[in-house]
Amino acid sequence: MAKKNARSQEEVKSEMDMSPMIDCCFLLLMFFIVNAAQITVSKDPSVNMPNAVSASEMKDANGCIVINVFADPEIMGAKNAKSLEKYNKTYNPGTIWGVADANQNSIGYNSGQMQELSDFVKKQKDSMESKGIKPEMIRLYLRGDADAPWSRSSGAIQAAAAAGVTNIVFGTLPAQ
Amino acid sequence: MARHKKIQPPEEEEMTSNISSMIDCCFLLLIYFLVATSLVSEKKLDINIPSTPTAASSKKPKVDPGNIYVTSSGVVTWNKDLTVGEAYDASLVPGTPAYLQQRRMDSLVESLKLLKEQAQAVEADPVVMLHGSGKAPHQRIVDVMAALAEADIHSVGLSTTADE
Repeated sequence: MAKKNARSQEEVKSEMDMSPMIDCCFLLLMFFIVNAAQITVSKDPSVNMPNAVSASEMKDANGCIVINVFADPEIMGAKNAKSLEKYNKTYNPGTIWGVADANQNSIGYNSGQMQELSDFVKKQKDSMESKGIKPEMIRLYLRGDADAPWSRSSGAIQAAAAAGVTNIVFGTLPAQ
Repeated sequence: MARHKKIQPPEEEEMTSNISSMIDCCFLLLIYFLVATSLVSEKKLDINIPSTPTAASSKKPKVDPGNIYVTSSGVVTWNKDLTVGEAYDASLVPGTPAYLQQRRMDSLVESLKLLKEQAQAVEADPVVMLHGSGKAPHQRIVDVMAALAEADIHSVGLSTTADE
């Protein structure tokens, strides 16, 4: 009897090693954190996005230079008071284009600062190219407010074209 | 001596930390980010602006270019004679049938597809020019871009017309 007890105590306890699984989880977690940050970069909540019936999925935000185009403050306020509040806190009066620099600081430009906007796009383009992003992958991601006049969106496109960026991506939301 | 029993120290309990709750948290965070990334689903419409015409490309195109005009009120016309989109109504609520009806421009898509077929017949690229009034709402331009994407045309010339 005593012999049998001794033998059962000697049996090796089988335990699952959880550490590799935890490592994997953390890696996945970090991957999604980084991805989410990349896609959500510069998404200004003051912009009421337009809807489109046929648009494709935004899979890769790499190489996108984001320009937000704002509607008139009166229209913005009538649609969403919080949007107007955020806009007033972030930008100077008269701002029609909003961008974010490398440190995610918001910069606003008014209608008379198209050259400055173009310079910003050029700087972003050069910075992306120095990081190894192919020139054809560098695009202008235009987040225009649905109620913004076309002259503002067109001005942003002209500023980008002057900086050598002719691929335009219109940011939209699905219509349904 | 035999009377004295050797007192054995109590068995040391093995200190193990329970990591199952941490794994639960990790999975919850993972699911959160998975859902969050798919929820923030801005869509895109890719458009390429033709570069400055060179001597080789400035000769007359094989097919007449298609012209789309968008007025300040948001009325869309094809080649100035066919109205393909009514005036923009900003009061419509997104998601309602009337709103979706305004977003769709089926006759413009048909015209664009026809233009593309004509261009392909002579092995050329379709040429489309979008003339938008400076006061036209951005939403109406996006509607036109969506129609272009539906007709599989990704290159369009843009111009801003004087406000009528």
